[in-house]
Amino acid sequence: MTKIELTRNPFIKNALKSRYPQLAVFIVMLVGYIFAILAGLIGTPVGSHNFSIVFVWIAWWAILILVAVPFFGRGWCAVCPIPLPGEWLQRGAVLTPPEKRPKWLNLRVPKMFRNIWLQNISFLLLALFSSVLLTTPNITGIVLAAMLFAAIGLSAIFERRAFCRYLCPVGGFIGLYSQTAPIELRIKDKQICVSCEGKPCYNGSQAGYGCPWDVFPGGLTKNTYCGLCMECIRTCPHDNIAVNLRPFSADLAKPSTRMDEAFKAFIMLGSAMIYAGVLLGPWGAFKDAAYNVGTSAWFIYAVIFLSIIFVILPGFFTLGILKAKSALPLKQRFASLATALIPLGLMFWVAFSLSFVLTNASYIIAALSDPLGLGWNLFGTANAVWQPMLFSILAPAQTLALVGGLIWSARTAQKAANEVKVSSIPVIIYSFIVTSIMLWLLL
Amino acid sequence: MRFYFHLLLFVMAGLVVAFAPLPVPPIAPQERTFRIDARQFAYSPSELKVNPGDTVTLQLVSTDVVHGLYVDGYDISIEADPGQSATLTFVADKQGSFRFRCNLTCGAMHPFMIGKLTVGTNNWLFRSLGLATLAVFGALISTKQKA
Amino acid sequence: MNRSELLSRIFVITGIILAIGAPLVFWTRTPLIHARMAENGGWNPDIIQAEVGKPLQLKITSDDVVHGFAVGQMDMQSVDILPGKVSEITLNFDKPGIYTFFCTRWCGLNHWRMRGTIEVSGSSSDPEPVSVPLYVTLNLDIDAPHDAPVIPSGQPSAINGQQLVTNLPINQSTDYYRANSPYQVFDELSSAVLTESERWDLVASIWKSNTTPESLANGQQLYAQNCAACHGENGAGDGVFADDLAASGEASMQTMTGAENMMMQSPVDFTNPTRMLGASPALLQGKILRGGMGTGMPMWGSIFTEEQIWDLIAYLYSFQFEYQN
Repeated sequence: MTKIELTRNPFIKNALKSRYPQLAVFIVMLVGYIFAILAGLIGTPVGSHNFSIVFVWIAWWAILILVAVPFFGRGWCAVCPIPLPGEWLQRGAVLTPPEKRPKWLNLRVPKMFRNIWLQNISFLLLALFSSVLLTTPNITGIVLAAMLFAAIGLSAIFERRAFCRYLCPVGGFIGLYSQTAPIELRIKDKQICVSCEGKPCYNGSQAGYGCPWDVFPGGLTKNTYCGLCMECIRTCPHDNIAVNLRPFSADLAKPSTRMDEAFKAFIMLGSAMIYAGVLLGPWGAFKDAAYNVGTSAWFIYAVIFLSIIFVILPGFFTLGILKAKSALPLKQRFASLATALIPLGLMFWVAFSLSFVLTNASYIIAALSDPLGLGWNLFGTANAVWQPMLFSILAPAQTLALVGGLIWSARTAQKAANEVKVSSIPVIIYSFIVTSIMLWLLL
Repeated sequence: MRFYFHLLLFVMAGLVVAFAPLPVPPIAPQERTFRIDARQFAYSPSELKVNPGDTVTLQLVSTDVVHGLYVDGYDISIEADPGQSATLTFVADKQGSFRFRCNLTCGAMHPFMIGKLTVGTNNWLFRSLGLATLAVFGALISTKQKA
Repeated sequence: MNRSELLSRIFVITGIILAIGAPLVFWTRTPLIHARMAENGGWNPDIIQAEVGKPLQLKITSDDVVHGFAVGQMDMQSVDILPGKVSEITLNFDKPGIYTFFCTRWCGLNHWRMRGTIEVSGSSSDPEPVSVPLYVTLNLDIDAPHDAPVIPSGQPSAINGQQLVTNLPINQSTDYYRANSPYQVFDELSSAVLTESERWDLVASIWKSNTTPESLANGQQLYAQNCAACHGENGAGDGVFADDLAASGEASMQTMTGAENMMMQSPVDFTNPTRMLGASPALLQGKILRGGMGTGMPMWGSIFTEEQIWDLIAYLYSFQFEYQN
């Protein structure tokens, strides 16, 4: 299984190297994003007929989790509008680097924050309020606006894209799961980078900006923190940057040893299971507890939510790998073996989202014609009735995703176990148990 | 070569688990009536179990606002106002587990107002669990072989 | 700054202005009437101005659940107001006055509080003669107890009574029927040589003769849409809100003024013969017209026409009397 260099194709290469195609997409995305904020704030408070809810939590979410992340990794980050206003203000330019550097603070992010724990926390914060967030246009509008302004604020204080890299609630898991994607940005020849003077890909040059994601492309070994912004393709004086098509989950062969990433895997695995039970299950009391933020029932829900993610799931995982004979410390084995849960978590989210998205996709058609609920009928589809789509393939597709995810995670577990020289069996059994629970919750 | 042989074996076994017809134990069809109370945002009872072939009557009683009830897979629905309960009768001729859900916007959590109708045994769940077991079995064997 | 940078900035800024401006402009230019559950504000606005002879065009949307719109005492089909959708309604008024519009689909315990007014100005060609409701003419105290001291042992049958009715010299006029409770008529029949059960059957037949199948059907529909949620689909006072009503007593009182000594009550059981057979149609008319004044029973005076109320009353007695075999 070899890699195919996509940038060898002159059309793709020029499209990535030129700033105009990306700028055009950026403007469309930014306009859509601001419109979503406005729709959330002034449109109908009925979520299922408001652009902000329908296009963010149904359409965007479906594209993100079913297409963008599995096939393009950080492909969404490449076109995400959230960091743009901040970045443009920080740079003092929309397109090409200006003559003089603007005097923003440009501080380095403190070392203690240079991990994805803040992203874990920001995701969990949204996750605990998700029942309200997913259904209330106002709240969605406020959260979208808050992310935009947080990105501007962080750009003003820190260098590069501090928001994307350290705070974005979505960016954390996109990065984690992008390791499984069949797309990567890598250098072609290490020697060229070693001898390259000035490292314009990291430091910037006349041709473009230094890596907004604070990554030195020459050292890239996995997708996690590369935002696919294509800036290095523009700055590299040696044409040494390639975008490759590669086998799925290539990055997982080298398991991570970071606790923040290991816990991210548990956070995503656990929240997919909790959502499957709470949102799609038949138990009304859970839904009440999840929705009535601030009540004692909600606090209990929050405590259970956090204990599943931080105690129960990692706890049983640790128990499983505790007894293994290994020279490596438990912490390192834990972090490495948790890699196996990355493809499984992604497939859990795919299976959960399939149900939610196929059931509610017909709202997209109606909201397209009347995005604000003002009685418009732009494309004549405003009165499209709610109707679940493709019901007959839903359960088989979910089984395929979950069993496929289980096989994928078992293979990953074997590789990871090989690296740290322990048995993969406990991890495989663990994956089997959580997959069985997920199957039971969804089917 | 052996690897592909094993792979083929597992794929065949998987296909059997997924699609082999199961004997359906003959159970005389019954008439069943359920009174389902609907409130924001739950049904009560929210889990119904019937046998294949049963004639099922659902009486939907809304206790706060107008609610609907749509049965996935059967593609049938009713709506009921408080004070005006509605009934829906159908023959449960499709086996498996089906969500039923509110199909009239009834407030914020409306998309998640969901109940579950199980007709006979939920075979697909058991087939899926079988596939998962098979997958793990295969993975364990391949681990053993490498070790 | 070079030209491409300038153009890019222009595009970006135009895009942002459009994304913010366009929705705002269209939003401010679409005046919608918002319908919400009463506890979240009800109709907004809840006072609408109109003029005689000028069609009034309304665009109404619901912000939460399914609502309905109709104007009281007006011959119109109620219009569903669906969440996130806009319903357009055109109304024509030929008489000035204050009209009540109300929600027609049950939207919670306080559904009936969801009302608003349309103030129609203009001159009227023919001033309406003000009609005084019967319970006022009769000077009835509609809050006084009105229990029937005697009740029948079984459900009185109008069919059986019909065979007895011919040879009796008894006033069967509408006025007589409306002014008297079934028990009063039963009592008046005591002079006749009849058994108690025959007398009750006779009362049933008198009640039947004062209504029509159409009236009963109309009354039944009005009852299902407006009353059954509290009084129960079978009239037993056990509707889906009955328990909430009893429980919410004090809390709901906060929204009422000048009724501090009244309590929310459980809805009346129309299948209870002691209560129903002691109530005259005029008394029931009073109760429906005026409402329960803080008991949770809405006032329907501004909503039902007189005819609708008589139809409804005729239907209420059908919980006591057997009209068919």
